Amino acid sequence: MKIKIDLALCQGHSVCLDEAPEVFDVIDQDDGYPQVRVLLDNPPQELREKVMKAAKYCPNNVITVLED
Amino acid sequence: MSQNVVASLKLPPKVSGEKPSSGHMDEFGANFARFMMRCNAECGELAEFNMGGQQTVLMSGPEAQEAFFKTLDLKLSRAAAYQATVPVFGKGVIFDAPPDKMKVQLKIQVDALRYQNMKNYSTVISQEVEDWVASWGDEGELDFLDEFLRLTLHTATHCLLGKDFRDRMTEEFRELYHALEKGLQAIAFVDPYMQQPVFEARDKALVRLQALIGGIIAERRASSHIEYGDALETFMAGTYTDGSQLTENEITGLVIATMFAGHHTSSGTATWTLTELARQKEYSAEVSEELQALFKSGSEITLESLREIPKLEAFIEEVLRLHPPLVLLMRRVIEDIEYNGTLIEAGKTVAISIYGSHRNTDYFPDPEKFDPYRPKPDTLFAYIPFGGGPHKCAGNAFAMMQMKAIFAALLPRYEFELVDPDETYQDDLSAIVLKPTGPCRLRYTKRK
Repeated sequence: MKIKIDLALCQGHSVCLDEAPEVFDVIDQDDGYPQVRVLLDNPPQELREKVMKAAKYCPNNVITVLED
Repeated sequence: MSQNVVASLKLPPKVSGEKPSSGHMDEFGANFARFMMRCNAECGELAEFNMGGQQTVLMSGPEAQEAFFKTLDLKLSRAAAYQATVPVFGKGVIFDAPPDKMKVQLKIQVDALRYQNMKNYSTVISQEVEDWVASWGDEGELDFLDEFLRLTLHTATHCLLGKDFRDRMTEEFRELYHALEKGLQAIAFVDPYMQQPVFEARDKALVRLQALIGGIIAERRASSHIEYGDALETFMAGTYTDGSQLTENEITGLVIATMFAGHHTSSGTATWTLTELARQKEYSAEVSEELQALFKSGSEITLESLREIPKLEAFIEEVLRLHPPLVLLMRRVIEDIEYNGTLIEAGKTVAISIYGSHRNTDYFPDPEKFDPYRPKPDTLFAYIPFGGGPHKCAGNAFAMMQMKAIFAALLPRYEFELVDPDETYQDDLSAIVLKPTGPCRLRYTKRK
């Protein structure tokens, strides 16, 4: 699976960081909202459930999970 | 944009029925949601009308709405469109702050909505609901428009300003808040500094509220070791890029801005949700069963237990489609923009109608029918109860959590029925935030 991010929509709510800290981090910015950073572009299968939850519960639909 | 490009562009078509003195203001003021649906039906994707001297271009359909949401702030300004909020939130707050400071203030607002705070808020809300229903007894009748306004004022102040403040909440605070609310009526969007008694009352209320909340801030700064877990704590901890803290008046302004963003929108949605639950018997039976299974008597309402309640969520989403709390959104055009071969000139206002978008038959066939199972549109810009793009409502997750917390507590215990004839429960489209026309009487009966 691959992770696609639309940074223009990210407001740094950090739900992804709570769901899957192995895959997502949230970085403070000098100005404006903190932004998500993807740590693993192709996360292993065992993290699938966590990644799907991060995508599902992101309040701003920032994360899209693409199948290989 | 170069002169050549500008010359080759069309101008937006104009809506009929403009009066020489007031433009379309009368028709707009009477029912702006219906007026905007007429604009769209007559002119299509772009429709220009005259709002008391301000030329306004309505953008309709998902593509135009996407352009509205995604065009940079520098070209389409929220701040210029929402200057009426300045005397309500105070000088230097959000739409009155320089762009770099405004960004930081909005970021600090989102900080207050992060996970740890949200956990506290869900506990606070379920406590407030418990206190509210404690005196209900086995059956009765209430005006829920009133009830939800009070409940959500309690939850908002409790989440924002903490338990101490909520417990000490005075009649004076309610009156001050109410005076600020009245300062944000439609005429404020024409000129918020007119000589008007409501605006004088608004200005006095703000000064007093700044003193009141300023007092709490000073109290807290003097006893810095206590943890509160509320939004005020987050606002007080926030800093600008140079490391300086927000002033007391800026913090107060953020508190007021957050109240305004969340209070009426939540109470209107809660009132409509309960009314539709009383009306849509078939769907509400399914929602109640789902909640009874999830929250057996005594099982606690927490952020985790509220996270996934599919039938209730689908029901609330359909309520937000038919009764979106904010009917329209606006921006001021700062720099000429081009959309689909049409020039929208600087100085005009652009608007989108969420109410109209949610009744677009290309995406929502038979739009007036309440159907929580209708298919989701394949675009993010047709169903937009919280707006979209970079400035989407930052409180959307909080709002859904609050709705779920309220109904997870209510529905397993009580059944609700309409008191008045079905057709008397209608959208009130005269105010900025949508709600049912009052009173909104429902009868409740304890489940066996």
